[in-house]
Amino acid sequence: MRRLFLICIFLLGLALALSAQYQNAFKVTWIEPGSGAVLPESDAFDSVEGTLGVLNASGPVNTEGHPFFTPLGTNGRACVNCHQPTYGMSVSTSGLLQRWRLTDGKDPVFAAFDGSNCPELPQNKESSHSLLLKRGLFRIPLSWPPRNADGSAKPVEFTIEVVKDPTGCNTSPQYGLKSAEPTISVYRRPRPAANLKYVISGGRPMVLKTGMLADVDPETGKPVGMNLMSDAREPSLKTQALSAIMGHEEARVAPSRQQIERIVEYESQVYVAQSAHIFGGPLAVEGGPPSLGPVALRDHRAGVLGDNDCDPVFGSFDSWKGTDYYRASVARGADIFMYRQFWLRDATHINTIGLGNPLKRTCATCHNAQMTGQDLSAGWVDVGTMNYPTWTEPSTWAESSELPVFKITCKRDADPHPYLGRVIYTTDPGRALISGRCVDVGSIVMQQLRGLAARAPYFANGSAKSLRAVVDFYDRRFDMKLSDEEKEDLINFLGAL
Amino acid sequence: MRLGLFLLGAVVALGQQRNFISCPIVRDTKTVPCFLAEYDGELYYLGIQQDITNEFHPPQLKHEVLVEGRVADGPRICGGIPLKPISISVVKEVNLACNTLLPPEPGIDAPPAPRGAGPSSARPNVAASTPRPPLTGRQEFTVLYQFNDDYLEYAGNAVVNAAAAYAKRSGAANVKVSGYRATTVLSNGDRLVEKAGLAEKRAQNIATLLRGLGLSNIVVEWKDGPEPGDGQSDPSRRRVTVVVTP
Repeated sequence: MRRLFLICIFLLGLALALSAQYQNAFKVTWIEPGSGAVLPESDAFDSVEGTLGVLNASGPVNTEGHPFFTPLGTNGRACVNCHQPTYGMSVSTSGLLQRWRLTDGKDPVFAAFDGSNCPELPQNKESSHSLLLKRGLFRIPLSWPPRNADGSAKPVEFTIEVVKDPTGCNTSPQYGLKSAEPTISVYRRPRPAANLKYVISGGRPMVLKTGMLADVDPETGKPVGMNLMSDAREPSLKTQALSAIMGHEEARVAPSRQQIERIVEYESQVYVAQSAHIFGGPLAVEGGPPSLGPVALRDHRAGVLGDNDCDPVFGSFDSWKGTDYYRASVARGADIFMYRQFWLRDATHINTIGLGNPLKRTCATCHNAQMTGQDLSAGWVDVGTMNYPTWTEPSTWAESSELPVFKITCKRDADPHPYLGRVIYTTDPGRALISGRCVDVGSIVMQQLRGLAARAPYFANGSAKSLRAVVDFYDRRFDMKLSDEEKEDLINFLGAL
Repeated sequence: MRLGLFLLGAVVALGQQRNFISCPIVRDTKTVPCFLAEYDGELYYLGIQQDITNEFHPPQLKHEVLVEGRVADGPRICGGIPLKPISISVVKEVNLACNTLLPPEPGIDAPPAPRGAGPSSARPNVAASTPRPPLTGRQEFTVLYQFNDDYLEYAGNAVVNAAAAYAKRSGAANVKVSGYRATTVLSNGDRLVEKAGLAEKRAQNIATLLRGLGLSNIVVEWKDGPEPGDGQSDPSRRRVTVVVTP
C-alpha cells in the first residue's frame, strides 16, 4: 500500500514536472535579450483578474538576432527589457520585483544608467532602484536647456531649481543640473510599444492646443501626431528607437538603418488588449462590444474621433447591459466614461484652448481617440498629477516624496502657467522640459488605455498602484463624486480594455 | 443736421458698448453652462459652453476677463443682458478670486446649444469640402487675437491655412505678414495698451506657420507702436494681416 502510494506520488510529480516543462517550452513570460524564443502569432498571459491577449499580426516572430530582442548597446539591454509582451509591451512592478529577486538585481533592466535612481548610487542595493521597483520608473535624463535639432539652445521662459532631491541625481556634481552638462532627471514609466498605429496617427501641420507648428518626421518631412512618449520629444518611431538605443541601451555605435526598420516593423504589428476576465470569460466575442481584444485593434481604423454618439470611443457596450454581473458592470463603466458629466477644471491644454474653465463634459472629451482613448490632437495636458498641490505625491512637506521636486519660476515677460501662476512646484515639468514654455509645466502626453490590467502602476509617474487609485485620483481632482458602484464599474471597464 | 444725427448715432452706439474687466461667473443649467460677468451693478450674458469650432470661446475661472461687447436687443439670457458682437480676452495672470460657479436654478435656462455637455450627437465633420475661392488677385487675410495674447485660436488657425492655400494656388510672388498690437478703451475711460513686442511676436509666429505650410517668399513686418483705441472696434486691431499678392 505504502509502495503504491509512493509510486502515485512519483507519477504525480513526474506529470507536474513534464507539464511545467511543456509550459516552459511553449510559454515565454519574461523574455531575456538574446534568448532566441519564437513568439507565436497569438499569445495570452495572466493579468490582473484575467488574461492579456497579444497578437503578432504579421505572424510568429523569431527573436533570434532580432534587434528588438538583441542588445545593441553596452549594458546588455534590448528594447524587450522594458517592453515585455507579458506586461502589455511595457513592464509592471510585479514583473520587475520578480526579476530583481531572480537575478539578484543583475538583470540589465536594472542598468545603472537609468534603471537605478542615479548611476552613482551603489547598484547592488535594492534601495538604489526603488523608483523602478516600487513605481516602475526609469530615469529620463534631459539636457537643460532644451536644444533645437541643430543643437542650439531653445529660448526658455522660466528658471528651474531643485528643491528636493531624494535620488541625489539632480544635485549630483556629475549628473545634476549644475554638472558640466546640465541635466534634469525625471522618472517615468515606459509606454506600451504596441497598438502603435493609433499612437502615431494624426499629424496635422498645426497643433491645435498650442497654435504652433507640429514637429515633422525628419525622414518624410511630414507633420507628426506628437502623441509619442510622455513629452512628445521624439517625432517618429524610428527616431524614438534610435534615441532609446543610444540612451537606454547605452550604445556607442548607432544601430544600422535595417536594425531600426526591423524594430519599427515589429512594434508596428503588435497589438495588446485584455482578452478574458476570470468571471466574464472571453471578452472579444461575437455580438459583444466591438473594441475588445487585440484582433479588434488590428482590424480597426486609426485616427477616428470617438467623442460622439455615432462612434463612441470604445464602441457600444449596450449588448452587455442587463447580462451577468461583470459584463453589466463593464457596460455601466463604459457609459460613465462616455456620458457621466463632471466639471473639468484647471487642466492646461483642455480648458485653455477655447473650451472655457470649467468645462462640463465627460472622460471622453479628452480621451477621445477611438480604440485607445488617447487625445486625437497632440495630446499633452496638465491634468494635475505632477504639479503641486494636486500632484499625486504626499500633500505636505512633512511627508516624504520619492520623486524630486523642482521649483519653476516663470520670467516676467513670459505668460504664466494658466492655473498655478508664476511659481510652480512640480515633480516633473513634463512637456516644458522640451518646449521651454511655462504653459507646458506639468503637461504630459495622454497615453493609451489598452492592456491596462497587465501593466500597473499607472500615470507617467507610476503613482497609481491600481486602477482604483487612478479612478480615485480623477474623482478627487475633478470632484466627480463617484459612488462606490460607479468606481467599481469604471475599474471593470478600464480593466477590460 | 446730418452731422448732428451722426454724432447722436455715435453717442448711442458708444452708450450701448460695454468694455470692462471683471471676474467671469459660471452659471450651470440643465444643459450647458452659461458664462456671465458683472459690470457697474448689472449682469451681462457672454455666451455658453460649446466646441472650439464655435465663434464664442468662454472665459476662465481663476482669471479675470476683458469683455468688449455691445448690448443686444432681446430678453435676458441666463439672467444676463446679452452682448453681441462680443470679444472675450482672458487676463493672463491668475486671480483666485474669480471662482464663482453657480448651481442651476429653476427658470434659468441656457439657450439651445448645438452641442450638449456630453459627447457630440453628430458624427464629426469629415473634411467638409468648401468651394475654393476664385483667384482674385491680391487678397488680405486677418488673424485676430485676444488682448495681450499671441495664442492662435481655432479661427486664426483656419485663416492661416486659408492664406497659405491661397498663396500656393495663386503662385504668390509676395506674401507680406504685418503684426500689430492695439489699445482698448474701457467703458470707464481707462485705456489698456497691449505689451511691447507683441506685434513682432504675432507676426513672427504667423510667418513661421506659413513657412511650415510651405511658403518661402514671406516678408515680415510689424508696427512697434500700439494702434489707437476707440472703445468700439478695438478687438479688430489686435491682429496680423497676411497680404498675398500673386
